Amino acid sequence: MTLRTPSPALVRLAGTLAAGSFAIWLSYQLSPGDRSLYTLMGLYAIVAIGLSLLIGFAGQISLGQGAFYALGAYTAGILTVGLDPDDRFLPEAGIDPALAVVAAPILTGLVAAVIGVPLLRLRGHYLAFATLALHLILLAAIFAQSRFTGGQDPGLAVIEPLEVFGWQITGVTGGTPRHTAIVWGLVLVTLLVALNLVGSRAGRALQAIATSERTAAAAGINVSAYKLRLFVLSAGLAGLAGALYAFMLQFLSPDAFGVFLSIQFVVMVAVGGLGSVYGAVAGAIAITWLEHELRELGARPSLLGFDLPDQAPQVFSVGVFAVILIVVILFFPRGLLPALGEGIRRLRSVRHAD
Amino acid sequence: MREFLQLVVVGVSTGSAYALVGIGMVLIFRTTGIVNFAQGSFAVLGGLFMVELVDDIHGLLAGLVAVVLVALVGSLVGFVAVGFRHRTTPLASLIITLGIALLITSLNLLAFGDRPHTYPTIFDRAWDVGGVLVQPQYVLVVGVTLVAALLLTLGLQRTIAGQALVACADSRRAAELVGIDVRAVAVVAFAVSAGLSALGWVLLTPVDPVNYDSDVRIAINGFAAAAFGGLASIRLAYVGGLVLGIAQQLVVGYADKIPGLGQQARQYELAAALVIMLVLIGWRARHEVHE
Repeated sequence: MTLRTPSPALVRLAGTLAAGSFAIWLSYQLSPGDRSLYTLMGLYAIVAIGLSLLIGFAGQISLGQGAFYALGAYTAGILTVGLDPDDRFLPEAGIDPALAVVAAPILTGLVAAVIGVPLLRLRGHYLAFATLALHLILLAAIFAQSRFTGGQDPGLAVIEPLEVFGWQITGVTGGTPRHTAIVWGLVLVTLLVALNLVGSRAGRALQAIATSERTAAAAGINVSAYKLRLFVLSAGLAGLAGALYAFMLQFLSPDAFGVFLSIQFVVMVAVGGLGSVYGAVAGAIAITWLEHELRELGARPSLLGFDLPDQAPQVFSVGVFAVILIVVILFFPRGLLPALGEGIRRLRSVRHAD
Repeated sequence: MREFLQLVVVGVSTGSAYALVGIGMVLIFRTTGIVNFAQGSFAVLGGLFMVELVDDIHGLLAGLVAVVLVALVGSLVGFVAVGFRHRTTPLASLIITLGIALLITSLNLLAFGDRPHTYPTIFDRAWDVGGVLVQPQYVLVVGVTLVAALLLTLGLQRTIAGQALVACADSRRAAELVGIDVRAVAVVAFAVSAGLSALGWVLLTPVDPVNYDSDVRIAINGFAAAAFGGLASIRLAYVGGLVLGIAQQLVVGYADKIPGLGQQARQYELAAALVIMLVLIGWRARHEVHE
């Protein structure tokens, strides 16, 4: 009897679990400064996985993932501090933060279902513009209903610590290592769910839809129902990430959720490869890090002998992401990171040939 | 009634400018299959160039130079979006034009800063038409856009280049077979569309200042106008722009009479516009056939 080599799927699963465990372990090792960036990477990874599935499999691009993220954050925040602005000083005005975190993705998923029904029957560009419009509507509403949302000034303070079964997850001073670990644990869960989805019956249906909607429909697949479910899933994931973000930052203001955030998610997915689940996580990590670096670079008074204007951080990140988006889609349509991996593999095989 | 007419006058003129952006989108979509996200950036560039130029040279010349400059930018965008890489999917092209729009936005922020730009209108006072105050600038916008739209329709019917555009719109493959350079046509379509969008804001800027990030609002409104005609009809895109412009003004004007909104109503201007747009798209969308 010979030992069978383990199946590639099993190897991949083991690798994913190992990487996930490492990511969770890392949460406890980082300094508080690095940890907040690391938490943000995890939150964005959750959003990017959902968006990558939507773009890659449903062929639909959403420019409103930032809106769902904001909606999740505000839902969790407002439910925690209390719906009635006049009662907010009372300790029992709001609901348990843990329940608020559960409610956020449900509400964002519902909103997505309402807009998705009429729009997902159409070609991709309708959803793109409608979701972008949704983002602007949400921002306008946050500004206008400032009594309810806190608006830009004074904003919404969510200082209630997040606690599950007596386990304190966020403290009075913001995120804790435990919060970061939970975020990365959720990244792992999302990743596994997404991989399972891609490999399941639903995944095969989605792959058929991605190849040709007509053929899929002819084979008896309910194309718009599958697209709708994927859209609701991606919105729910963004809502969940947003809710966890609210408890990390403990302060919500519309400035944190500009339209550029939605576009940033698209950049992450494009870099990681449209439809690639692992790529989405890698793209989220890479782009979040790059954004951070570009902001620091732009905040300097001068660079290479040139004086930098006040708006330099914004110019840098918007400009660089614009160029990344154009170059990646034109020259590496399957994603920058997959292309890099392939390039390294090719280099190696050349060396072996020598 | 007077208030109503006043709002309609303003709505027709901003609607006309949206109509030009929408017509540009239709032109590009029909000839190349691309929904051009950078269409709003062309409008913003037109307005910003005009503001810069109008101090130094005569207004008419400044407008002409601004439109031509943006048309050149447009042809470059068209070249990147379709020209030097064959067979990008519509989804990929949408993302590329989104990237281009972002790039233009960041350059505008660098060059013009973060503040609304405008230039003074050449007309010194408003006309009083039966109690309704009409800014001559509004009349200018409506008149010029109407002429531009008519010239475009005529040009498409009567000139060889126009016929090539129409041929590409009908069937790109058939057009290629009869010897039409489809890529050149696409670049021309982008240039003309860019010029049209720029023209709208060259004229509208005195009454509706532009900022570096106005492009998103303009692109969404332009798309809504185009979607009114299922992205296929220039005439319906024009009507769509007007409907959108008027409806937005009426919502803004009468919003404070809606119970529950009260004082905050004005802040909903953009949101109201977008809800109208979503309804318009959802309604028109039922008529669009799957490709």
